[in-house]
Amino acid sequence: MPQLVTVKVNRPDRRPIRVWVPVLPVVLVLFPVVVLVVLAAIVACVVFRIGVVRALGAAWRVISALRGARFDIEQGRLAVFVAIR
Amino acid sequence: MTEQRRDILDMLAAGKITAEEAEQLIAALERDHAPATASHDVRPKGKVRYLRVMVDATDNGEPSRVNVRVPLQLLRAGVRLAALVPPQALVKANASLSDSGVPIDLTQLKPEQLEALVEHLDDMTVEVDSPDATVRVFCE
Repeated sequence: MPQLVTVKVNRPDRRPIRVWVPVLPVVLVLFPVVVLVVLAAIVACVVFRIGVVRALGAAWRVISALRGARFDIEQGRLAVFVAIR
Repeated sequence: MTEQRRDILDMLAAGKITAEEAEQLIAALERDHAPATASHDVRPKGKVRYLRVMVDATDNGEPSRVNVRVPLQLLRAGVRLAALVPPQALVKANASLSDSGVPIDLTQLKPEQLEALVEHLDDMTVEVDSPDATVRVFCE
């Protein structure tokens, strides 16, 4: 599971934004929201006749596999960098 | 040319074997050598972990750069997730794609085929050079 998400935004003539988001504490803080999202996903699976366990397993795989992803986009003096570790 | 292949061609030239026999022998030789050749690949299989997309371009005189690194594991997980899409949604997606001028039948795409595609991505390198942009897609 990803541990840290780093976001850096360099804007022309403005102070750069640098945010480090520790994933686990944020998930714990947002736990009620996470539970609601999971419940909604389960209902959607039942409505569309998709295996709940398979769907949740696949979603968990996607979240786990995010570790190592990096997006670095620059245009002129504007730059956005997102790294998931 | 390997020595064995040269021997086969010598035998064919000397009339000791027919062209058909020579063809069979060469085919057998290639079958025997195929696994050995694969193991001498420049990039060791299984070591490749990321798909990289790098774009260097110039938009209205301003340089722009895109550097994306996506774990191949994420692509595999995406394939498994895509396999859960219900058939009725695929039919609707097909209709929308067809309306947009992309006649692709998504119901014919099997998860195994997509997995095989992701599995063989490590052999792929795409490089596009144009006066305004350079695009490189490869695995590392």
